[in-house]
Amino acid sequence: MSEAATKGAHEALVVPQAWYSQYLSWLYNMLHGNFGTSTRSGLPVLREVILVTINTIYLTIGSMFVTLLLAIPIALLSARRGMTLFTWPATIFTYVVSALPVFWLGYIVIYISMHQFGLFPLAFGAMSKKFNWIYFLLPVFVLGIGNGTISEVVRYLRDEMERVFAEDYIRTARAKGASIWKHSFKEGFLIPITEIIASKISFILGGAIVVEQVFNWPGMGRMAWQAAQDRDYPLIMAITLMAAIIVRLGSLIQRVVHIIVNPRASQE
Amino acid sequence: MKRYPQYKIKVSSLSDVPFWKKAGAMNLLYVSYGIVIVITVIVSYILGAFESLPFDPQEINLGLMMTPPGSSGHILGTDFMGRDILSRLIIGIQAYFLPGLLSVAIAIIFGTWFGVLAGYWGRGFDTSITYINNLLNSFPRLVLILLMVAAFKPDIYYIMVIIGITNIPVVASLIKGKIQFLKGKFFIEAATALGLKNRVIIFKHILWHNCRSVLIIQATLGMAEAILMETSLSYLGFGVQEPIPSWGNMVQAGANYFMQGKFWPSTAPALAILFTIMGFHLLGDGLNNIFERKQKI
Amino acid sequence: MSKEPVLEIEDLRTYFYSRSKQAFIRSVDGISLEIEKGEMLGIVGESGSGKSITAMSIMGLVSAEPGIITGKIGFKAESVHKNLLPDLKNYVKVNMSSGKIMEVYKDDNGWKKNIDRIMHKIRGREISMIFQNPKISMNPFITIGKQITESIMLNTVIKNRREAKERALYWLERVKIDSPGLRYNNNPYGLSGGMCQRAMIAMALSSEPAFLIADEPTTGLDATIQSKIVDLLAELKSTIRVTTMLISHDINVIRELSDKVAVMYGGIVLEHGPARDVLSPDYGHKHPYTKALLASIPSEEHIRKKGYLQAIEGDVLDTINIPAGCRFCDRCNMITDKVREMCKHAEPDLENISSEHKIRCWLYSGS
Repeated sequence: MSEAATKGAHEALVVPQAWYSQYLSWLYNMLHGNFGTSTRSGLPVLREVILVTINTIYLTIGSMFVTLLLAIPIALLSARRGMTLFTWPATIFTYVVSALPVFWLGYIVIYISMHQFGLFPLAFGAMSKKFNWIYFLLPVFVLGIGNGTISEVVRYLRDEMERVFAEDYIRTARAKGASIWKHSFKEGFLIPITEIIASKISFILGGAIVVEQVFNWPGMGRMAWQAAQDRDYPLIMAITLMAAIIVRLGSLIQRVVHIIVNPRASQE
Repeated sequence: MKRYPQYKIKVSSLSDVPFWKKAGAMNLLYVSYGIVIVITVIVSYILGAFESLPFDPQEINLGLMMTPPGSSGHILGTDFMGRDILSRLIIGIQAYFLPGLLSVAIAIIFGTWFGVLAGYWGRGFDTSITYINNLLNSFPRLVLILLMVAAFKPDIYYIMVIIGITNIPVVASLIKGKIQFLKGKFFIEAATALGLKNRVIIFKHILWHNCRSVLIIQATLGMAEAILMETSLSYLGFGVQEPIPSWGNMVQAGANYFMQGKFWPSTAPALAILFTIMGFHLLGDGLNNIFERKQKI
Repeated sequence: MSKEPVLEIEDLRTYFYSRSKQAFIRSVDGISLEIEKGEMLGIVGESGSGKSITAMSIMGLVSAEPGIITGKIGFKAESVHKNLLPDLKNYVKVNMSSGKIMEVYKDDNGWKKNIDRIMHKIRGREISMIFQNPKISMNPFITIGKQITESIMLNTVIKNRREAKERALYWLERVKIDSPGLRYNNNPYGLSGGMCQRAMIAMALSSEPAFLIADEPTTGLDATIQSKIVDLLAELKSTIRVTTMLISHDINVIRELSDKVAVMYGGIVLEHGPARDVLSPDYGHKHPYTKALLASIPSEEHIRKKGYLQAIEGDVLDTINIPAGCRFCDRCNMITDKVREMCKHAEPDLENISSEHKIRCWLYSGS
């Protein structure tokens, strides 16, 4: 290639000068809404990232829902009645399923859906007409059960509920014939749920990267993977930032709920 | 009906029964399973390092593709290129063992150091650790790693260093919390009043006697997480590349065959991941239940 | 004049299991008590003597295992007449060896469900309980007014929320809380210990129970507040006359309020009689432990006579290793040669020394 062309290409791409000056200029641009352009597609980064984030947010919220749906009954029953004929196998089940590699779980689910429902989920868009709503549920299901989230959620909720059950004011509530579920709800259920949701969001986003790969789901995770492959630096920076924003939002919501529920917290 | 036996009429008021009697049966089961897994991993690592494997993991044998376990001397069968699966699994451990240890070591050594600083001397260290903890927690681990991969070399050791660094605040908070709890028990003041040097107090009394269980538990959980990260990354195509086997990329390579109904090449490494991660998790949980959980009143 | 007993406890044993020592902690080791209608029974004893556990056993709130293993608690109120521990034998099997309980089989989950089913109608409605540390004993997330209203709506015939609120306000006034209307909307953490305790008393009495258990209601409060709460309890006692079991380690509180007194030590009752007899320093027949207790608390007489306080030698009984013989033996300073052998090897029974006064001591048995 001619010298001019090389120099031009060199300048057009992000040239690592001093890395800190590069970072500062990125920061400056970012604050002005300019995330740069992707080195691969040439399109402005911000727009691409936002479109894709919505898909991942759907995965995140959906999988959180699935996890809670399964984890809450197990945790509450274990806290109340200890290890019974139901809770013990259920807890073991969550341990096993949480340690399964998510991608393999995904394969199993895809295989079953292929042979039961005739789906070909590897091609998003080419779906069998009757069951295409299932395609939206599969990755949510896999991300909700696998990835290690569910066993930790069960453990945390159960421990917190047990701790509250041991409090003195629950003893008073029982002594006056009141329902302990009603009295333990705020401290043992509401607050721990918001805490665990807020703290697991970053974990789920990480898992989404793998799940999106398995299901070829057009979300932040798959885009991040692509960007890492291509060394598409501006794109991945934007995605990282977006992920951090989502996590922080979750944390903010959790803090707000905490203040609303707890009369003491507003004074801290 | 639950059984409550009292073995002696006169119970010595000074000594407790040994811990393996007072821990529940389930916890002992968890811990023993975990120890078995750890030993298996270590032994396999050594076997792999010395290349004393039943078969050459790269040896392609197209005549023996996809045989089930137990055929022609291949204990776990062969994959879609006729390579012995057991040997590939053993070599796969190389991919995560040392890097994982590195990550755990970084997290524990620096985490304890910072945790002691924050808990014992408090103030500035405390707030900065909390701040850094909050900052690091905002980013999903895998996303950060992809960022590193995009910007720098995608070497597994670098990646494990990053994971170790992100775990430092976790360990630091735990240690800091423990120390603050212990401070409330006054014995640190008492020890200082007795003239014990700070170094002695920290190492002997706080860390060894009170924190060692927490640290061991964090080490097991950290290793479990390192394995998870490495397998996810190699599945995604980063880290160890074909044809060098790593459990993650073995699962990925067998994907197409899985969809055709030939499950084993993907399932064998997946099960290995499952049993190993469960081993570390159960070990950590079992130890946690034995040493850390309080008795119900 | 024999009144009707409201509560009759027979040989109640509540044991806990120490996994680390593989032995039983015999918190309540065979208690038999009776409380008559309108009477206030004070239970006095050092920490660890099993007083609070007795109260929890009556209410069925013992959570640790194995909990209650033998006994019968007969409860009689206007509409209720039942054994609070029925079918215990179906859930517990006890194996003894050389007189001591060595092995217990218990179906804890089944028993807890059974107890909850029985006590469900009784807790709050017929039997109310107030606790130590009122600030942490009330739900910090709900206003005290709402907590009292909840008790009223659950346990009385009043189901209308507005009426229940009026009732709650009435009771808040009754316990002499200042500006009840304002306090109704306060959370427990914003109130002082004394006010929280008043609120808890209001909550317990608002459901008009037949029996009240007060577990160390004054412990943990400041001294001046303590005397105010004691005055309140005395005034409520004379106006409402609810049958009460008052538990405390403070003898002065027991002396001021109780009609009858039971002295507990090491999980059993050592003395049981009218308060003026048991607790007056001059009464002739007295268990050595009671005598020592009275001698160890400061009183006006002491200060006037410039006497020394007499501490009781030795340590509190280790409820895991209970010695053969009298439990107070190695701390007793009234052993004579005549009874020494018996004190060491055999445990005395509770015996009547007068119609209403029982003592468990070899010095008094047979008289």
